Amino acid sequence: MIADEVRPGRAAALAGVPAFWVVAALLIAGAVRMVQITGRFVTAYPIATLVAVLLFAALAVPFWLVVQELDFLEREPTELLVLAFAWGGLVATSVSIPGSTALENLVAKLGSPQLAAGWGAALAAPAVEEAAKTLGVVAIVLIARQQINSVLDGVVYGAMVGLGFQIAEDIVFAVGSVALAGQGDRVQPVITTFLLRGFLAGVWSHTLFGALAGAGIGYLVVRRDRGLARRVGVAALALLGAWASHALWNSPLLSDGLGNGAVALLAVLVLKGLPPLLLILWLVRLAHDREADYYVARLATLGDPELITDGEMKVLGSGSARASARRLAGERAGAAGRHAVRRLQRAQARLAVELSREVPTASLSCEQIRVQRQVLRGLGHPEAIAGPRSWRHTASTVATTLVAIAVLWVALSALGGA
Amino acid sequence: MNLLGTFGVVAALAGLAFGLPAVDRALSAERPLQAGVAVDVGAGVTVVPPPGATLDVTGTRPGDSMGSVFFRIGAVQYRIAVRPFEGDLETAAAQLRQRITGNRGYQVASAQLAVDTADGLAGLQGGYTAPGRGGRYAVFVGDRRTIEILISGNDLDLGRTLPQIEASTRTLRIDGTAK
Repeated sequence: MIADEVRPGRAAALAGVPAFWVVAALLIAGAVRMVQITGRFVTAYPIATLVAVLLFAALAVPFWLVVQELDFLEREPTELLVLAFAWGGLVATSVSIPGSTALENLVAKLGSPQLAAGWGAALAAPAVEEAAKTLGVVAIVLIARQQINSVLDGVVYGAMVGLGFQIAEDIVFAVGSVALAGQGDRVQPVITTFLLRGFLAGVWSHTLFGALAGAGIGYLVVRRDRGLARRVGVAALALLGAWASHALWNSPLLSDGLGNGAVALLAVLVLKGLPPLLLILWLVRLAHDREADYYVARLATLGDPELITDGEMKVLGSGSARASARRLAGERAGAAGRHAVRRLQRAQARLAVELSREVPTASLSCEQIRVQRQVLRGLGHPEAIAGPRSWRHTASTVATTLVAIAVLWVALSALGGA
Repeated sequence: MNLLGTFGVVAALAGLAFGLPAVDRALSAERPLQAGVAVDVGAGVTVVPPPGATLDVTGTRPGDSMGSVFFRIGAVQYRIAVRPFEGDLETAAAQLRQRITGNRGYQVASAQLAVDTADGLAGLQGGYTAPGRGGRYAVFVGDRRTIEILISGNDLDLGRTLPQIEASTRTLRIDGTAK
């Protein structure tokens, strides 16, 4: 059943699918609404708005690359990734603004203003926003069902919708903080928002919640070996998990902190953000390994070490092992070796996808693999295998972690945590 | 199936974007108030509302570190907001004026008057005009908090209610500590 679960099909021509035109209309409506919402900020605070857009657009780049890299073996079409991102930034946001406000008002009306002040953000925003974002993954399924071949695909599209939402929301918050500061077109509130929402809250934000809900939709769509009730139950559980993670993050729990200073603030951030982060990373790892096992098994049927060796099969299914193989090639054969291994790995992944699509043997894309194999042979490094863990890599990992903690510390201190 | 699913997505979005606000509008936001009883604005600040005022819960969020309260006296809106602030009174007033004029068509009058509360909290107040409406603003600073007041309505209603609202403003008190 794994084969059925992850076997990709050809991407449907988007323009030929009625759902695409409905989604396109929704995107246009969302864009118009977002321009209306942000338009007065652009007029009143042009410099701050420009800085906010540039900063958060730059922040989106590493997130995008990481999410895209999750599905190295069967990369999702760029046009669908862009569509998912646009859904998050235009449709989900423009729907969530009135929806969340109304739901928070209902909390105040049916409960009390005190309840809305304390828990309104935790109850209203996650309920509306997670639903609006998850509908984006459903829209992708309706447009290009054949592209959803594994739970991991759902993760990727869910994360992309979440990323679009996160970036759009951050820009609105940043420019809103400029207006609230009442000091004219100043960039200081934008920088503060960037540190707070980009660095401190960025890791465990909408991208993560969207990935979890997307995994549920992926499971619902591809695990046809399971009963409908179970699949719907898992999808609902994933959406509930995304809602709960978001609600925990927005909740006033630990709002009094664990004392003063940057360490105490960091501890609160970790306590509220880390459990969902670890849970979701674990689920992503499971989905990733499942898909990798399937594709590597397809390559194993070739039995041709010219196309892929046993050692390379062990490497291809793991992101860290692939990176290790590129590092080893770099150490032994320089930049040319590293680039050749990267191209070889991409070509092997493409071949695996073609095998899963049952492309006739004569039409398989083996040429690029043979070319890169020749290049590697010429460089004296014929096999793209992972190297032993070097002290240099360990030192680099430790140094990167220390730099990340230092950046967090500076951000917390700059925001008054220390 | 594809088209049916698409309509399902559109219907769900419509429910979030229009259905929830419709339900919100269908329920009254106004709550009666007990005459002479102080209302919590948030962040340890209280105020006694004007006689005949009702509380609009959609604009009322009395939180620990910041908060707001929204009263209605007929067609006149009376809003108070409190939040952490590190500057002085002049800075707070300048920022409030900037935010008012940041709205298209809003203008503030050049003159500001010194005001205070019964507890001796010093503040500044002024007037502003908006399309079809007029208004007053006031700002107080104390205990590392700023308390901002915005009153708006047409000239006739404002003229009738302003004395009661100004009397209410004088009852502003910082009773507790903000978290």
